[in-house]
Amino acid sequence: MTIRVFDPTNEASPAAGAEAPRLISLHGTTIGFISNGKEGTKEFFTHLGGMLEAEHGVAKVVHRIKSNYSAPADKHIVDEIRSWHAVVTGIGD
Amino acid sequence: MAERLGVPAVGVMTTRFVSAATLMAKVLGMPGYPFVTIEHPISNAGDAGLEARARAALPEILDRLLTGRA
Amino acid sequence: MPMLQLKSRSYEVDDLLSAQEFYHAKGWTDGLPIVPPTEDAVRACLDGVGLPPDRVIGIESVREQSVTAEKLAINAVMAGCLPMHFPVVVAAWKAMLTEEFLLHGTTSSTGGCAVLVIINGPIRRQIGASGGFNALANSDRATACIGRAIRLGLINILDVRPGGIDRSTLGHPGKFSYCIAEDEEDTTWTPLGEMRGVPKGVSSVTVMASMAPRQLMNEWTHAPEEILETFAAEMRGSQRHYSIYGGNQVVVIPKQLRDIIQAAGWSKADIGRFLYERARIKRSEWGDVGKGAVVRDRGESVYIALDRPESCLVVAAGGPAGGFGAVIAPWMGHKTKAVTVPIGACTDRDPNEQEHP
Repeated sequence: MTIRVFDPTNEASPAAGAEAPRLISLHGTTIGFISNGKEGTKEFFTHLGGMLEAEHGVAKVVHRIKSNYSAPADKHIVDEIRSWHAVVTGIGD
Repeated sequence: MAERLGVPAVGVMTTRFVSAATLMAKVLGMPGYPFVTIEHPISNAGDAGLEARARAALPEILDRLLTGRA
Repeated sequence: MPMLQLKSRSYEVDDLLSAQEFYHAKGWTDGLPIVPPTEDAVRACLDGVGLPPDRVIGIESVREQSVTAEKLAINAVMAGCLPMHFPVVVAAWKAMLTEEFLLHGTTSSTGGCAVLVIINGPIRRQIGASGGFNALANSDRATACIGRAIRLGLINILDVRPGGIDRSTLGHPGKFSYCIAEDEEDTTWTPLGEMRGVPKGVSSVTVMASMAPRQLMNEWTHAPEEILETFAAEMRGSQRHYSIYGGNQVVVIPKQLRDIIQAAGWSKADIGRFLYERARIKRSEWGDVGKGAVVRDRGESVYIALDRPESCLVVAAGGPAGGFGAVIAPWMGHKTKAVTVPIGACTDRDPNEQEHP
């Protein structure tokens, strides 16, 4: 005879579990880069953005830096995301 | 968070930070959230090193953002 | 009330020992055995407080994470709580989820504090919570299990796990369980809850993000100023060695020292005022303890261990013999504040009426 026991963890994650739909193509898109402002990240993203524009038809590249690298992104950045087609975020060390 | 707004996103992490990023993805409700990893370190990699890392990461970033890819 | 379904996922395990391995393997424990949370046990806790399973007790604001009665009940059962312990657990979480407690910061920091829970009022007697022998350790089942329910809830509901969100370098044993009942019957002092605004005769919990207790001893005087100077010195030591910043401080005074201080006519407010004056150091004292590099030109700056005299939380507790006392320092100054919450739905009732939420 078995015992039925319950999950103690937070299973219902806040809001989203589903990913946003992927893009069909990058042509004519606006891509936003959000960096944590650490050394090297900005330059890395500049290279990446340049490659996407030159070789993959991206129309516009926007760069933003989070004001607090260990916190979620600032509200004004979050608002701007809605006007982009995709986001690349990252790190520095 | 971008995903919640309907905007596809990809995170880029140096190999050293992958475990913290994976954890936060799980905590924020997206277990298995894809991160593209690049070679650590980045802070003193030099411009040529950064360009090389960008070139290396590009295919995987495209995979994460576009449909019909791996 | 119609019986609402429990929403949590359930699992079938073979037996008690299998349940242990299952929960440990999932990372759902503090390393110690747990009581398997069955439906009956979880419902009994919820029924005891009269809450539906989906009632949101509070929201952790940094991650926008809801904490429901159901999840608290599951973790409380795992900790060994009985239904009669659960109202204390719920009240403690309500307090922890207030903005001023700063739950995410306090539980994730490298500082490694634990949540100290102090129980006041009639509920102590009802659940057998003892403020006597071993008050800061394994005094009784109630405080042991209530304290543990706090930690299991943090681990499971808020993912506060070592090396994950919990970045504590060292932590301390209070992270297993850190719950104390005040000995209100054997003191002339006003109970802590009442000092902090809870109506007389109403039960309450006070939570504080706390470091480990620092035990002191002074059985060689009958002068309250001298006894309390030892407490002040312990606070100054904590300022010098751990964190210089002032906030709440808990001061636990067992019977032997308490009788002396009370006999001299000192109230808890008098103690708070005394310690506010005496527990302070100059920044230059950092130079005595190996921290000279950061004194700079601010050596004359004075730092007080309490941010206000009223921030001193005096608790009458401990066994009857021994000239010991304890100081419990805050995690970090007044970035987090101790919070007191009454237990039960309403507080404007006849205190002689039997308590139910």
